[in-house]
Amino acid sequence: MRKEGVSKTERPTQADVVIVGNGALGLFLADELVERRIGSVVVVGPSDREAGASQAAGAMLGCFGETTTESLRTDASRTRFELGVAAHDRWPDVLDRLEGYSRTGSPLMVTPETHVVLNSIGADLDTVNFSAMIEALDEYGKPWEEIDPREIPGFRPRLDTRALRAVHLPAEGAVDARGVLAALDARLRATGAIMVDQTVRTLVRNDGEITGVELDDGHVIEAGTVVVAVGARSEALVRTALDDLDMVPSFPGLGFAMLARRTGGEPFRSVVRTPNRGFACGLHVVPGPGDLEYYGATNRLVDHVSSVTWMADVRFLAQYSMQQLDERVASHEVTRWLAGNRPVTLDGFPLIGWLPLAGLYLLTGTYRDGFHCAPLLAEHVANELQGKPGTIDPMFKPTRRPIETRTIEWSINEYVEHNLAGWFETGAEAAPQMTTAQIADYYRVMATKFYDTMGIDYALGPDILWYAQGSLLGARRVARYFHRLAGGNGSQPAGTATGEARR
Amino acid sequence: MTVSQEPVAETVRLIVDKQLNLSAHGYEFGADDDLWALGMTSLTCMGLMLAIEDTFRIELPEEALKEGTFRTVGTITAAVEAARPTSGTKV
Repeated sequence: MRKEGVSKTERPTQADVVIVGNGALGLFLADELVERRIGSVVVVGPSDREAGASQAAGAMLGCFGETTTESLRTDASRTRFELGVAAHDRWPDVLDRLEGYSRTGSPLMVTPETHVVLNSIGADLDTVNFSAMIEALDEYGKPWEEIDPREIPGFRPRLDTRALRAVHLPAEGAVDARGVLAALDARLRATGAIMVDQTVRTLVRNDGEITGVELDDGHVIEAGTVVVAVGARSEALVRTALDDLDMVPSFPGLGFAMLARRTGGEPFRSVVRTPNRGFACGLHVVPGPGDLEYYGATNRLVDHVSSVTWMADVRFLAQYSMQQLDERVASHEVTRWLAGNRPVTLDGFPLIGWLPLAGLYLLTGTYRDGFHCAPLLAEHVANELQGKPGTIDPMFKPTRRPIETRTIEWSINEYVEHNLAGWFETGAEAAPQMTTAQIADYYRVMATKFYDTMGIDYALGPDILWYAQGSLLGARRVARYFHRLAGGNGSQPAGTATGEARR
Repeated sequence: MTVSQEPVAETVRLIVDKQLNLSAHGYEFGADDDLWALGMTSLTCMGLMLAIEDTFRIELPEEALKEGTFRTVGTITAAVEAARPTSGTKV
C-alpha cells in the first residue's frame, strides 16, 4: 500500500549513503537500502536521465531470448548468464511492490511472453544463436515450444524476410521501463529517500577514504559510503577520486530505439525478436504501454556518452522493423526517440564491488541487461554495504584483470561472423562473382592486422574489436591499458581459471 | 628508433614510411603528400598513431585524434611539436 510521505525536495548536506545515478541499478539499490532501514539514502541524478541506458531500455525480462553461442561456452560467461536466470525470478515480487506507485494507467508488465523468430536476412550467426537458445532452455528446464511464425499476433514481415522458424517463450516477458523508473521514483520519495535532481561533478576524498560528492553547482553532500552507479559515465566519475586506478576500461554502447503508436493492423501482444545478432541485441518489438510499441535497438560503441544518434541508425531500425516485424510499422506515429548509453566493459563482464578507497563502491558494466538484473544486484550490493556476505560471485570486482573467454583465433572468427551478419542484414552487395568466403576473408585480414598493429594478446569481443579498429581514441585506450598491465606486473590478463574456453 | 639525433619531421617521415611501407614499393612522398591518397587506411593510421606516441613518448590530445592530423608528414609533425612538453626539446 502506498504511503504518503513528506516531499523531499531539499538538498541535504549529509547522508549515510549517496547513490550516484538514478537509473535502474541506482533506484533498485536505494529501494533495497530503504527497506533495510540502513539510514539516510540520497540518490543523485537528473530527472530526465538524458543519455542513460535505463530510460531508453526495452526492458525485456529475457535471459534465454538473449542466449548466444557464447553465453554458456565458458565458466565465466555461464556465471554471468546465471545472474540473469536468478534475476528473472525476482520480478514478480518487484512488480507487486511497484504497481501501486505507477501512474501510467497500464500494467507495468506489458507482456509475460516472447517469440523469438529465425529469419534468413541475417547470416549464420542467427542460426547458431537460435540453436544455442533452444539448447540452453532445455539445459535449464525452461518452457518453450516451436510454433508456426504466422501464428504470432502482430507479426507480419515482408515476404522476402519472413521467418522460417519461431519459438514461443511463455515465461519471458517485458516491463515498461519508463513506467518502472517512475514508479520506483515515486515509491522512494514516499518511503523517505531523498532524490536530488542534479549531477555529481566529482567525488570528494580525504586521504584513503571517500567523504562525499560534489554536485555540478559546487554543493557538497558528505557521506561515509558512496555508490557509483552512473552507467557509462561511471569510470570517468571514479577517476575524479582514483585517477591512476587500473580498472577494466568501459565504453558507452550507444543504442537507439523508438516508441511509436500503432495506426492500423493487428497489434503485437508479446515481445517479438530475432536472436542476438551482428554486434547488437537483435531486432525487437515490445508491446505497450497502452497503444504504444517499442522498437529497438541499435548498438554502437562510441568515444563519449551521447544522446545524438546517426541517421544510419535511424534508417536501420525503421527499415528493418518494417521488413522483418510488420509492414504496417511504416505508418506508425513515433511518439518518442530514445537514445541511451549502455555501460560496456572491455571484457564484457560487470564491474561490481568495493574500490580501493574506503567507502567507495562501484556498480556498473551490466551492458544490455542492467535493468533486468537490477533487483538481484540490489540485494547483493546492499549486503556488501552492510558488511554481510554478497550473493553473487566475486569475480566481477572492478579491480580484477580482464576476464578471458576466448583465444585470438576465436575472436577473429567471431568478428568475421558478426560482420557477415551485418553485411547481409544491411543488404550490402559485393560484385556478383564475389563469394561469401571472399567477404569473410576481407574481415579476417582486417582483424588479423588489427591484432598485429595493436600488439596485444588479449582476445577482444567482436563489439570492442569493431570499435577499437574504427576509433583512434578507442584503440589508444585499449592498447595503453594492456601495455600498462604488462609493464606493471609483467603478467598476462588473468581470469583463465574462470574463463577458460571449453571449445 | 631513436629520435634524439633527428629533427622531428625526419623521424615522422621514417615512421610513416615504415607503417605504410611506401619506399619499399617505390613510392616517393614529400611532407605535403596526402597519406590517405597513398593508401593509408584507418588500421594503418591506428598503427601510425601508436608508433608516433611511443617514439616521441607523448600523448596526443584527444582533439588531435582525427583524420586531418594524420594527413601528411607535415600535419603529423605539427601535432607532435604541439604535444611535446617544451617545443624543440629532444626526447
